[in-house]
Amino acid sequence: MASVDTAPMGCSFLTTTPASTFAPEDFSADEQLMVATAEQFSRKEVLPIAERLEKQEEGLMPALVRKAGALGFCGPDAPEAYGGLGLSRALAARLLEYLSLNPSLSVTIGVTSGIGQVGLTLFGSEEQKRQYLPRLTSGEWIGAYALSEPNSGSDALSASAKAERRGDRWVLNGTKMWISNAKWADLFLVMAKTGGGGLSGFLVERGYPGVSVSREEYKLGLKGSSTARLVLDDAEVPLENLLYEEGLGHQVAFNALNLGRFKLSAMCQGPAREAMGLAAAYSLDRKQFGQPVASFGLIRKKFAQMAFLFYGAESMMYRTGGLIDSAFRREAGCGIDGNKRAAEEFSVEASACKVFASEVQAFIVDEALQCYGGYGYTEEFPIARLYRDARISRIYEGTNEISRVFMSSRWARRTREGRAELRTAGDSFLSELLGKAVAQPFDDQIRAGAISDLMMLGFVEQSSRLRAARCGGLQPALYSALLNWVNVRAAEAYQVVTGQAVSLPAPAPFDWDQIALAVLERKGPAV
Amino acid sequence: MKILVPVKRVVDPFAKVRPTPDGFGIDTTGQKFEINPFDEIAIEEAVRMRERDPAVDVTVVSIGGPECEEQLRKALAIGADRALLIETDRTYDPPSVAAELAALAADLKPDLILMGKQATDDDCNQVGQMLAAKLDWPQATFASKIERAEGSLTVTRETDTGEETLELPLPCVVTADLRLNEPRYIALPGIIKARSKPLERRPPAAQPKPRTRLIKAEAPPPRSAGRKLASVDELFAALKGKGVI
Repeated sequence: MASVDTAPMGCSFLTTTPASTFAPEDFSADEQLMVATAEQFSRKEVLPIAERLEKQEEGLMPALVRKAGALGFCGPDAPEAYGGLGLSRALAARLLEYLSLNPSLSVTIGVTSGIGQVGLTLFGSEEQKRQYLPRLTSGEWIGAYALSEPNSGSDALSASAKAERRGDRWVLNGTKMWISNAKWADLFLVMAKTGGGGLSGFLVERGYPGVSVSREEYKLGLKGSSTARLVLDDAEVPLENLLYEEGLGHQVAFNALNLGRFKLSAMCQGPAREAMGLAAAYSLDRKQFGQPVASFGLIRKKFAQMAFLFYGAESMMYRTGGLIDSAFRREAGCGIDGNKRAAEEFSVEASACKVFASEVQAFIVDEALQCYGGYGYTEEFPIARLYRDARISRIYEGTNEISRVFMSSRWARRTREGRAELRTAGDSFLSELLGKAVAQPFDDQIRAGAISDLMMLGFVEQSSRLRAARCGGLQPALYSALLNWVNVRAAEAYQVVTGQAVSLPAPAPFDWDQIALAVLERKGPAV
Repeated sequence: MKILVPVKRVVDPFAKVRPTPDGFGIDTTGQKFEINPFDEIAIEEAVRMRERDPAVDVTVVSIGGPECEEQLRKALAIGADRALLIETDRTYDPPSVAAELAALAADLKPDLILMGKQATDDDCNQVGQMLAAKLDWPQATFASKIERAEGSLTVTRETDTGEETLELPLPCVVTADLRLNEPRYIALPGIIKARSKPLERRPPAAQPKPRTRLIKAEAPPPRSAGRKLASVDELFAALKGKGVI
């Protein structure tokens, strides 16, 4: 692995430029072989049965999860002692990216290997981990995460599900809403309020008395995945199934989401990758005015734009993977407190990944559908499904709005705690703008959101710049195209914060056709 | 039982290749490389035999530069026990490969050499046969089924006129055809395990003496556009007009 950000801290990208950052090019040959297995699995086992998965054919998805588990996909980054493979989180994300060519599968696997498991990995007792993790990592059991309720989504701490200690057990009551995997999950990580009013986490087996799952939601997309309510009606949970400490469940819940948001960005990249490839193949094939539509300038421009935005998202998210891995290495052996610090350290970066990657995914599936013309609007081609499936990415695991509130407020909070500085290096146009913007108050959501946009764009720009400089090839051209785009967005955000106009620097030169042709030749991302 | 599986590194069979500008070879810049798919079938078959009988030992061997390690590691990840790289930067034609493998067989004394029937890059389909001749071992080419018995193998081979079943005493050479099996997905735990399996490098036993020389490599001519015909009669007339029928 190349040298990565030295002793990095969360938000430090704002004030310093590291010598180098982790990038997908740093995966070793055998790590790439693992990724190839993930892609093969998607292409041969999943995509051919996409329509049957959509219909939720009985037993089909759980069987696929077991197959995936046998190959190692249900706990790649879980500790080896509990049946995981102990791989890096960056690599686990790469695997998930390639398992996401069909998003219904990836949300199922993403939840059972991610937020449905990581709370246990980070906060579980030895006994709890020994009992449950091997079942989840093997794919024998499917996991789920139950935090949201009918009246508490983004405002998670206002949950009304209650847990009461009665004799030798906990008794849980309440309804959990939009629970991914509910239909086939064997184990739920449930958040409920206990005596002191705080949230507590519980490991709830499906078979416990009083646990039931109500009807499936009829969703816009991800129809092959299960989303339903978990109903707890005097549900009886053994005392030892309290996860971590009573009243500290919010730490479990939020730290699972910190890592979950990073992984979700991989689940945005995979479908975007597939959409780009499908649209490229279609555009080369479809002829109008006697030539393939891929030869027209406005279609090529779409491919170039998809490619540089994808590149930006990819550069930032694998850098973040490397950062999260470095935090876990630093905290290795420090127990649950260490896990907490590691999961929290890069929560701003992880949120930036989730927001940016989900918005890039939205752009890519939309433009990819456009390449299909009228056919794109029919269910005859798989692009319509990818379009529908993408919509949830900006909503779940923290809406992009709550994430935008979070990023800048967490930067301010870290500054108050002495773990960051509310200033920027000012070494680029964007960094300079952000430096000026944060000097102003941003206590309303609109300004705070714009500051978050500037932070996110700065992170994308810097991550891509460092990667392009190191890897060369077509990457500097992708970076130039991205830089121009980023600067325009930054000027807009700056205007929102300050009410001031700002003149843009001269655009970096690049060739639209060069980037588009790379996408068309590779039938996928340009690099 | 000791099985030796020769493995060739080839350009991704699904990739588009171009001749080098000087026409003396194939331009491999930026290309992905894979295990020759027929060799992968041979590895899979050997590994399945080992899974049925732990006394089986599977060695994979490549002849080539250090880059071949990538394919050998992959073979180890599929389940081979050990790998051997005969390190060389020279060009080998099929007789040279057969000679080098024969020398290796004299040293390792495998009971079975199981290999792809041909490589997808040059499609020669010669090494297995030449190797059997050099070793004076029985051979079964184009195998679609292999069954083990005490001291022998029963091999079903695909021929133009149907299936043929042979019984061969060990040691022998068997070449794998497409339908012998379907190679597995390489499980992640297998890839991790492969990291600690032995990969030995050794120099070639002899220098290759190629008897053939590549004079020219050319891309196939671009296909000219076809034309749509309205009826069978029209097709019939067109074919007749071209003198095809």
